[in-house]
Amino acid sequence: MKPYLQYLVILLDDTSVAYCHADNPLKERNLMPIETLKKAILFGMKQNLMIQYVYPEYELPAEYNEVIESIDNLKIGRDVKVTNEVPTAVDCDNIVLRIKIKDLIAKQYDIAALLPSVKRMNICLTDIETFKDEQIAEYKKALNTLSTVIVNLYKEQKHPQLNILTDRLTLKEMHNCEAGIGNITIAPNGKFYLCPAFYYDEKTGVSNKMNHKTKDASRSVGDLENGLCIPNKQLLELDHAPLCRNCDAYHCNRCIWLNQKLTWDNNTPSHQQCVIAHLERNAARDISAKLSKAGYNLPEIKEINYIDPFDVKEEW
Amino acid sequence: MVKNMEKKKVGQVTLDEKNEIQTLFERKNGLAELSKILTADNADLYEKLVKDMGETSTKFQNWWNRMADKYKWESAKNGNWEINFDTCEIFLVCGTECNCNK
Amino acid sequence: MIIQDLNDSWQAGTAKNITFIVTKDCQLACKYCYLVGKNETERMTWETAKAAIDYILDHEEDRNFKQESVVFDFIGGEPFLEIDLIDKICDYIKSEMFRRNHHWFNSYRFNFSTNGINYDSEKVQKFIEKNRTHLSIGITIDGTKRKHDLNRVYKGSEKGSYDDVVRNIPLWTKQFPEAGTKVTISSADLPYICESVLHLYDLGIKQVNINCVFEDVWKEGDDQLFEEQLMELADKIIDGGKYEENACSFFSENMGKPLDCKLQNNNWCGAGRMLAVDAAGNFYPCTRFAQYSLRDKEAWIIGNTKDGIDENKLRPFLTLDRCTQSTEECKDCEVAEGCAWCQGENYDAAKTHTVFERATAICKMHKARVRANNYYWNKLYRKLELEGKREEFEQNKPTNKTDIC
Repeated sequence: MKPYLQYLVILLDDTSVAYCHADNPLKERNLMPIETLKKAILFGMKQNLMIQYVYPEYELPAEYNEVIESIDNLKIGRDVKVTNEVPTAVDCDNIVLRIKIKDLIAKQYDIAALLPSVKRMNICLTDIETFKDEQIAEYKKALNTLSTVIVNLYKEQKHPQLNILTDRLTLKEMHNCEAGIGNITIAPNGKFYLCPAFYYDEKTGVSNKMNHKTKDASRSVGDLENGLCIPNKQLLELDHAPLCRNCDAYHCNRCIWLNQKLTWDNNTPSHQQCVIAHLERNAARDISAKLSKAGYNLPEIKEINYIDPFDVKEEW
Repeated sequence: MVKNMEKKKVGQVTLDEKNEIQTLFERKNGLAELSKILTADNADLYEKLVKDMGETSTKFQNWWNRMADKYKWESAKNGNWEINFDTCEIFLVCGTECNCNK
Repeated sequence: MIIQDLNDSWQAGTAKNITFIVTKDCQLACKYCYLVGKNETERMTWETAKAAIDYILDHEEDRNFKQESVVFDFIGGEPFLEIDLIDKICDYIKSEMFRRNHHWFNSYRFNFSTNGINYDSEKVQKFIEKNRTHLSIGITIDGTKRKHDLNRVYKGSEKGSYDDVVRNIPLWTKQFPEAGTKVTISSADLPYICESVLHLYDLGIKQVNINCVFEDVWKEGDDQLFEEQLMELADKIIDGGKYEENACSFFSENMGKPLDCKLQNNNWCGAGRMLAVDAAGNFYPCTRFAQYSLRDKEAWIIGNTKDGIDENKLRPFLTLDRCTQSTEECKDCEVAEGCAWCQGENYDAAKTHTVFERATAICKMHKARVRANNYYWNKLYRKLELEGKREEFEQNKPTNKTDIC
């Protein structure tokens, strides 16, 4: 089914926790006014959206809690723990580990050791843009380390989820971030953004390249008063992404913020994003083969001879 | 006797054969124009140029000899063969006092 | 045996185009010029040019430079304002390609688009003589004096440049008999299309590459006027028998049919497959992405002579296809074939930072062109059939070169 808007991400504060690729550079508190919060919730209710609150580290004023609980929700930074360090142990089912590539490689065994204790771990690489082809072998090795643990756990009928490896095992079509299509973010200023990273760019004055004279940084795609207005929305959709629509790295985040940052076009992934996603996809293929031998019935993941679809685009 | 610059198709070469002579033709022109700016002061490059001009001219002529031998094209006194690089066609072109249409 | 090259269209579409923006200055200030940021200060230095050449030739094996042939384009502003630099650049390119045994030594051209004003200068003529077999030069002349001088005026005055250009046309057509001129049509030019094309034929220019500007300049009724002009031109060309030796790119047999999104999905434009370098040593996917060509958007710089090319910045261009960037109306259009676009104008006019949004300002003009084009070919072929000359014409007809920018 074609993705449709299902989630409303509410950044409760400028210092709300970063939970994806982009770091949050905002250091000063700027709590969403409670009236704005109410309007955001009302928007979500009317649009039938699942609410995901993104919390700052500090405790919110008491009056916010009643408003927050006026609708079913998920609390990122509370229910879902977000960490920028590899913990020695985990005390929750669902954890987001934000980590640099070199740290993931260096701490692959520490991360692997956590897998038996979690239901789901989302590994979020925070410096994809720095990935070099020379790191391919190291990243493959790290994935192999994690894969070995996963295969052993599955053989014991334990099924932890690790986004970069196990998501691909069962997917039959693209399941990406879908910012602007499946979810939309509202910031403390009452404006909509495709995702929090676009809000951070606006707040820090990163030019949107739309006017060389003004160097305007605005990124909002609507506000609570006037509703959503996403220009060129079609370019966020899979069928308008020539590289992605033929790709089968179904678990890839296909991060449009990274696309915009690295290739300057929302619908075009960078070499780095494609390579990393394909190394993970191929590692998932190895896991799938091993699990099939162990009796699991998983969809086939084909053998391919490329790690960047750009290299074979003429064949499409 | 025919008028000046009569032109008559006398054959055709393969694409590979055309590519071979086109490359040599381009190189010959390139060397000729390079020779206008290179002087003996630049000894190494000048020597390389002189050597290449000789080799390319030989290869160029060899191609025509080889093709003429292979395809047995019609020829004429005072006539020249031409190739159309777009179509691979070979033409016999006659200047004055030519008997190519006879 | 003396061998002649009968080839007049050179490696069309298969060569790498490398553009040196040698100056952003020009003697003229043409009213329709898309170069909004022309200036007298940004002139390429020899050091920058050399660094660019060295970078390009150093990367012979890179996928960006593996094409069998190369065309080095020189544009401005007016490129021949920098003839000394150009001469030095071309000499260096030739000797370096030879010294390095670079594969492009066997297949290269130097290409110029000039306003023609100093075409007959001693320096330019000496340069032509020196590089004759590897040159292609197009002089831009817009047609009759009144049409040409309407737009192509001197900087700082309203004086037209026609007289200074037309005096060089005989020399140019003698040196480049097969060369074509490039004519640009904006709204104010529409009444003069017919007389201008015929005038250019009379000047001995056999190939007239003419196109409407892609910018959003078209007024109510322009399409009707355009169609009327093209119909009149069609009649004059056919009735006057000018179709035998001359070509006008407005009339093409490959135009006006619907296109399939799977089988006919190629991008129109070569941006990204080309490379442009400017005075600062910055690289662009095409000259239209340099800042001086853009009204609003920031320049799309894909690298520079020091750091090389950032391949990520080229990926959108190299994955562009027709339908992904087209509106639903364009995809469903029954006369889509032959409708052109400029990737740079698409980018500049887009609502977001993208090259995937096709500007459609030219839509009604294309449709008018298709109607006149259909008329032209129906009338011409009927005439030829009645005269029993159709087959002969088909075998020998002059062709339009695919010069679209």
